Amino acid sequence: MRDRKLLRLQTALLCMALVGFLVMPALAESQSKSGEWPSYAADLAGTRYRPLDQINASNFSDLEIAWRIKTDNFGDRPEYKLEGTPLMANGVLYATAGSRRAVIALDPGTGELLWIHGEHEGKRGGSAPRQLSGRGLAYWSDGKEERILYVTPGYRLICLNAKTGLPVGSFGKDGLVDLKVDNDQEIFPDLETGEIGIQSAPVVAGNTVIIGAAFREGMTPRSMRNNKGYVRGFDVRTGKRLWIFHTIPKKGEFGYDTWEKGSAEYTGNTGVWTQITVDEQLGLVYLPVESPTSDFYGGHRPGNNLFGETLVCVDLKTGERKWHFQLVHHPLWDMDISSAPILADIIVDGKPVKAVAQPSKQGFLYVFDRVTGKPVWPMPEKPVEVGNVPGETYAPTQPIPSKPRAYSRNGVSLDDLIDFTPVLRDRAKEIASKYHLGPVFTPPIVSKPEGPLGTLTVGTASGGTNWPGGSYDPETHIAYIYACNACIEPIGLVAAPKEVSDIAYIAGVAGHEVTILRGPGENAGADSPKPKKGPRSEYIPMNVDSLPLMKPPYGTISAINLDTGEILWQIAHGETPDVVRNSPALKGMNIPRTGQETYNIGTLITKTLVIAGEGQVTTTSDHPRGAMLRAYDKKTGKEAGAVYMPAPQTGSPMTYMHKGKQYIVVAVSGGPYSGEYIAYTLPSEGE
Amino acid sequence: MKFARASSAGALGCALFIALCAAHAQEPSASPKSVWDGVYTEEQAKRGEPIYGKECAACHGAELMGGESAPALTGGGFLANWNGLTLGDLFDRIKKTMPQTSPGKLTRQQNADVLAFMLSRNKFPAGKTELYKQSEMLKEIRFESEKPAEKKQFRQRLFK
Repeated sequence: MRDRKLLRLQTALLCMALVGFLVMPALAESQSKSGEWPSYAADLAGTRYRPLDQINASNFSDLEIAWRIKTDNFGDRPEYKLEGTPLMANGVLYATAGSRRAVIALDPGTGELLWIHGEHEGKRGGSAPRQLSGRGLAYWSDGKEERILYVTPGYRLICLNAKTGLPVGSFGKDGLVDLKVDNDQEIFPDLETGEIGIQSAPVVAGNTVIIGAAFREGMTPRSMRNNKGYVRGFDVRTGKRLWIFHTIPKKGEFGYDTWEKGSAEYTGNTGVWTQITVDEQLGLVYLPVESPTSDFYGGHRPGNNLFGETLVCVDLKTGERKWHFQLVHHPLWDMDISSAPILADIIVDGKPVKAVAQPSKQGFLYVFDRVTGKPVWPMPEKPVEVGNVPGETYAPTQPIPSKPRAYSRNGVSLDDLIDFTPVLRDRAKEIASKYHLGPVFTPPIVSKPEGPLGTLTVGTASGGTNWPGGSYDPETHIAYIYACNACIEPIGLVAAPKEVSDIAYIAGVAGHEVTILRGPGENAGADSPKPKKGPRSEYIPMNVDSLPLMKPPYGTISAINLDTGEILWQIAHGETPDVVRNSPALKGMNIPRTGQETYNIGTLITKTLVIAGEGQVTTTSDHPRGAMLRAYDKKTGKEAGAVYMPAPQTGSPMTYMHKGKQYIVVAVSGGPYSGEYIAYTLPSEGE
Repeated sequence: MKFARASSAGALGCALFIALCAAHAQEPSASPKSVWDGVYTEEQAKRGEPIYGKECAACHGAELMGGESAPALTGGGFLANWNGLTLGDLFDRIKKTMPQTSPGKLTRQQNADVLAFMLSRNKFPAGKTELYKQSEMLKEIRFESEKPAEKKQFRQRLFK
């Protein structure tokens, strides 16, 4: 299965790499660790923070492209959704790249390719639920040996020698651990096509590699049965499984009874598809768990469904549960816990607290004592609306954090609709009138042709903070979190035709063809769903002449003081979209910057700056078609500079020092622009 | 001689081709045709809808609103992504990379029909002729997110 051509290329490049490495150690050793970026989120605490300051407010706009690398050739087709954040450790930059999810090692100063590794997985890769280049990889070193670990689209854990890119023979079988086996379940229908994979970066803490699991999108599942997303720890030296945590408890385990009518037996998903956080000192791992099978209908899984949408703390050495807190009982809104928990040592009312802060799609920052799991500020259970979908069971209450207040919009009322002009507002109201509106946790409803077509939500599937997560400054105790404030999701349910799904209700619009939603690159060989007969409802665009239905700001960055739970500032992130700036309906109006409705923006923070790229293309008098990488003053949120990118940011930025210079690397792609990593640095003296 | 004649003919052909290309290149750079000029038919968009439903909606959503793994094909973000480029650029992107599981699976005709459906959902007007299916010809149709007349009027007002 291993690609021989790539291996040959590796061997050739190995010579080049070795030459490079012979001269590198002295320099590498002299580098401060704070100048490296050794794990996906900079560190295991999920901070996305480096205290570097060569690039600062006085010079950010002077940044120039140091090097760039297109990822087109790292796969058999270009990729337009490059989501990776590279690592920089011991003088080498590593990244996943291209539709092959190849691993590349680059010179951090020049971008020169040192080695490449790829796995040709055939049908197993081609039928994987989560394809493309993924979000990144993990680096491990004991001071002598250095290793790179990543998971292929086909769900195999690969361990490479970081110096050569060659598989480490002593790890698993020839450098590979098949993650579809030894998983306390039989993956069905078979190992080749069985639905399970992952796109996030593995985490390595001490000598333990921790791997979660991901599945296809869960809005329109074909079945109430699916594989389960257990989390496992492996020995980084041998690849041996050390522990497993059953995210859906097995019979006799704690939480099994939260799956009534034996639904724990057949329900699947409930994986950890996003980044995992570890406190090495405490020996604790924080697992952000996603939704169980069937995002919007839980009639086949009555009960609270632990550990669905639950933050679970487990022991690093054993995987045993220490505490848990379910953010959403009986999940119905696709409120996967979608990003890395952030570890924060804070001072609340004069007392030090080792805390963990969890950003969320629903715009709440859930803050707990990370030793005990107790909320730092009260999170009372509050009654929520009970819906009327046949067969559904509803949790009567949900925990609502009293502090910090929600940092992004998580419900829809008429006051949230576009209000630039009375005409636009009336049209928005007309669209909204076809839907059921309400605050956070307003449940999905059955779609009716005469209306309502569904519940109009924000802060659900793609709202608030998604996989890029937040940033945190451990010195000032301030978290900086991007959120989509206008990513709407109309959730209507339709009875699923039996030939489409064995689930009673799946997402859809009354009278429209039932469409099975797929994850990226999922096998298209399955029979296409049959149209549902019935009265056809009209197509309703969820915008007003392409203007967003919600009023601005469309996307925000919030600075939140974790000592006090107060939001210090909140800004609109991103240039006002072309469609708003150029709208004839808005001519003559002075509209402050609106930000953009994008859900996948990650922030990087340095000593003084918050840095984030835009998620949409704009064309303005200041720049041609493109997007800007922007920097803000951490204290005030005031813009400190911006630099042009040819395409939107699709992977979160990172930074490092190399040979005395600070670099910022960001992944861009989308629309007509295929994936590219771009490294920025300041002009050299004399330039 | 035969060879020479053929060669002359070939040379003449080449010269003609180059002349045509040159003439073509001398056309105003702002193509006279845009997505606002009725470049597809309603019939074609209707043909494209079921193809979209079968091949595209799984990731981009039945309502073109996008999903967790694929961008929206309607609204401001989509329009800005392609504004200033041509339908040929968009067509080639679709043809080269979509559907993601089986790129190139659809015929040019099917791709053109899907594109017509996308244009209709984005409220670009239908016309009397179907959308071309040749990339080179589609590259002559500019993707303009703003309606040209309104744009012109708007600018005139701005610069008064």
